[in-house]
Amino acid sequence: MRYNPSFVRGSGFIPVLLALAVLALLPLLTSSMYLRHLLVLAFVFGIVASSWDLSLGYGGLFNFAHVALFTIGTYAFGLIGQTLGLSPWLGIALAGVAAGLVAAVITLPILRLSGIYIVLVTIAASQVLYQIVISQSDITGGTSGMVSLPALNLFGYRFNRGGKIGYYYLALMMLVASTIILYKITRSRYGRAIVAMRDHKYYAISRGMSETRIRLFTLTVSAALSGMAGGFYGSYMRVASPDNFGLGLLGLLLSMLLLGGAGTIWGPILAAFFVTMVSEVFAAYGAWRNIIMSLLLIVILIFYPGGLWALLQTLREAFAVARSQATASLRRRFGLQSREAMTGARETLIPTRHGRIAVADTGGDKPALLLIHGNSSAKEVFANQFKAFCDRYRVVSFDLPGHGVSDNADPEKDYSVEAFADVAEDVLEALGVQNPCVFGWSLGGYIAIELAARGYPVRALAISGTPPLRIVPEDVGRAYDATSHFVLASKLFLSPAEARDFATSTTAAKGPETIHLHRAVRRTDGRARAYTLGKLQIVDWPRQMRFLRSTATPFAILNGSNDPFLNHRYFRDLKLEQWADEPDDIEDGKHAPFLLKPEIFNKKLAAFLHAAEAASRRDADVVA
Amino acid sequence: MTLETLNLILLGGVVLGALYALMATGLALVWTTLGIFNFAHGTFIALGAYIAWQVASTEAAGAGLLVGAGASIIGMFVIGMLIYYVLIKPFERSADIVVKSVITTLAGATILENVINLVWGPRNKQLSPLLGGDMSVLGMTISRNEMAVVALALIILVALGFFLQRTSLGRAMRAVAQNREAAQLMGIDVERLFAVAFGLSAALAALAGILIGSTRFMNPSMGSDPLMKALIVVIFGGIARFTGPIYAAFIVGLLEAVMTYFVGLYWSPTVLFVIMIVVLVAKPEGLFGRHRKSV
Repeated sequence: MRYNPSFVRGSGFIPVLLALAVLALLPLLTSSMYLRHLLVLAFVFGIVASSWDLSLGYGGLFNFAHVALFTIGTYAFGLIGQTLGLSPWLGIALAGVAAGLVAAVITLPILRLSGIYIVLVTIAASQVLYQIVISQSDITGGTSGMVSLPALNLFGYRFNRGGKIGYYYLALMMLVASTIILYKITRSRYGRAIVAMRDHKYYAISRGMSETRIRLFTLTVSAALSGMAGGFYGSYMRVASPDNFGLGLLGLLLSMLLLGGAGTIWGPILAAFFVTMVSEVFAAYGAWRNIIMSLLLIVILIFYPGGLWALLQTLREAFAVARSQATASLRRRFGLQSREAMTGARETLIPTRHGRIAVADTGGDKPALLLIHGNSSAKEVFANQFKAFCDRYRVVSFDLPGHGVSDNADPEKDYSVEAFADVAEDVLEALGVQNPCVFGWSLGGYIAIELAARGYPVRALAISGTPPLRIVPEDVGRAYDATSHFVLASKLFLSPAEARDFATSTTAAKGPETIHLHRAVRRTDGRARAYTLGKLQIVDWPRQMRFLRSTATPFAILNGSNDPFLNHRYFRDLKLEQWADEPDDIEDGKHAPFLLKPEIFNKKLAAFLHAAEAASRRDADVVA
Repeated sequence: MTLETLNLILLGGVVLGALYALMATGLALVWTTLGIFNFAHGTFIALGAYIAWQVASTEAAGAGLLVGAGASIIGMFVIGMLIYYVLIKPFERSADIVVKSVITTLAGATILENVINLVWGPRNKQLSPLLGGDMSVLGMTISRNEMAVVALALIILVALGFFLQRTSLGRAMRAVAQNREAAQLMGIDVERLFAVAFGLSAALAALAGILIGSTRFMNPSMGSDPLMKALIVVIFGGIARFTGPIYAAFIVGLLEAVMTYFVGLYWSPTVLFVIMIVVLVAKPEGLFGRHRKSV
């Protein structure tokens, strides 16, 4: 199982909690019956649209009978609550069952169909349902529908009292419950199977998934939720109208689904509120309302095909980028002394091909040691190495673009392993450093190998927490442990809890010593994570591997023995020739042995660098 | 049942079949070339009828039915092309064109229907019949108008068949339907062709609307029932061949006429839909379609 944090730890939790609080308190703040009515409708449509999203967005099954199934729920409620005279609560529950059963029947003819044919069969099926309902006029009231359906009451409390406040909270609770169910399904094994069946049917089948069962499950569950919403709608509106089988309501709900963004669950709920409210704004315009709403829908689909959800993500990204850049600018100005105290090196800002880069350099005319930090970190992670090596080496480190106090950059061209290697070249050139020893940690390890593999003269090369890759993405699966927080490494937005998780497993738990590393994760431009890891495929991995297998440059891998991200067997199977023969894993070093076990690490690195220098002196003697 | 009733049922079926054939070929034309289902086709029928009424009717411009029909067909051709550029073209390369085109054509249908409502109002209207009076064929009394409807529909369908089989534009259209990329490599302007297909489909819908308007009443939502019937017909006949929907249209028309007599007005659509679902499950390529590997 891959890392799958609970919703409470995700970044959606606080906004959802806020929205819920506002919706729960709203009836206390305003006594507007009209607003309350609109919100109840938005809740109901939110359930219908988001449950439709399970089959249409996640499953890719264009079930256009979904809205008819909602109406079936309304009629089932009417039959049970009014015709049979049973409890309306039972009516709502059985409305879900009825819609689910009818959906299962509709699923049978479409089991072997795909695409537009599913659209046509399900539309035909909803027409059949419509014809059946209106033909049974002695039970269903024919074309005039069922009227004065029973209202809800609980222990003597009548729900249509007090401005239908009971209905308001019941609808809100149903929306919450249905969203929790949908969210749980999409994150479960079934949810992943549904998506797998949509994205690559034959591969999914070959892995043992049953298309029949998944289609049946998807359509039945989404119909059951929609049917219960229909049952509630019946008790709230107190009518069951055959008009709701028609294309009008279908178009309204489909527009919510597409405006919100299919395959997101949250988008359709958001759009349910948006569409309900906007369409009420134009309520006074009669026939013009439908025209305006339809035009609006077309315009939004043309100019913003991802819908409201994508718009929200764009806004969020813009905000996050501005925030991280502002953080970097502030820290550059006010945190300089504490950073220089940590490294003991002078910090300068150097312009490179990929933006202005903050560089720490101990200076002096000594052999150079370049340290490259990893994903969502900063150069201060090497504070111990600065202090340990500055007497023998000119220690240099820099913040990658989008990290630390360097500037954010253009994600398209500045956030990739290759661009980061360019930055390393530019920094070394600006400092006048030649032939450095290079140590790279994690992502920095790939940058270090890339730098050396493209022919930049490097005296010695050491990496930590970096499994050299032969082909991507296959080797990523082999080299990394998917149960770890590795999945966060490419995530655009990290919630506070996720940032803490990621900082903790890449470095150490939050404490006075490591707080700056946790802050570094929060500062990092999320696009640097997403784009760099997203563009791993375009790195010339075979060249890196050829280099590692054929180079005369001294090379060492200094991993932590219990690195949570790595599959240690992968390293053994690679059989890369290294400086030391014995396995050089550092006991209890985790992902950052240089930080957690500095003494042992520094000793090993010093020994490696010493041996490398001895070797290069020998070579120089031979040449002489 | 007397022979005369049977003849009446059959004749009603043939008239229905002729109308359905016009609508279904228009629908199938768009479906085969663009691969989408146009839910605005029903309102094309209504709009075509109303434009003809506006030009032809003595209550409006009063230019006569022939001028009205011509204006309507040409007008709908242009409107259809415009609608292609607004509703379909922007989404052509998007991955979920199938579902997006459903919602945009539904939205387009809503807009057109409401525009009709605003311009001409919800009250029923009627076009004057093509031909007045009755005629006697094989001892049956038949309205000359209904005969004219059938004859006109057949002539148009034959002409359409000639266009698709013999003219370069029609052949290009079939080429695009069969293999878009190859057709594009042969230098066919696919986009223009799509627009022409959409326009042609709308013009056929307009003609169907005029024929409906001259035999029955017209109102802004007059297209929704024919749209559903055309859907059944297209699925019934399949879209592999141009003639498939035409055969299917007459079968469905006759079936409907017979069933309306035997099982009543309410149940006949249900039975038709159920038959359609059965056909679709058993033979997704349609009754007259050749078997192809995937849909």
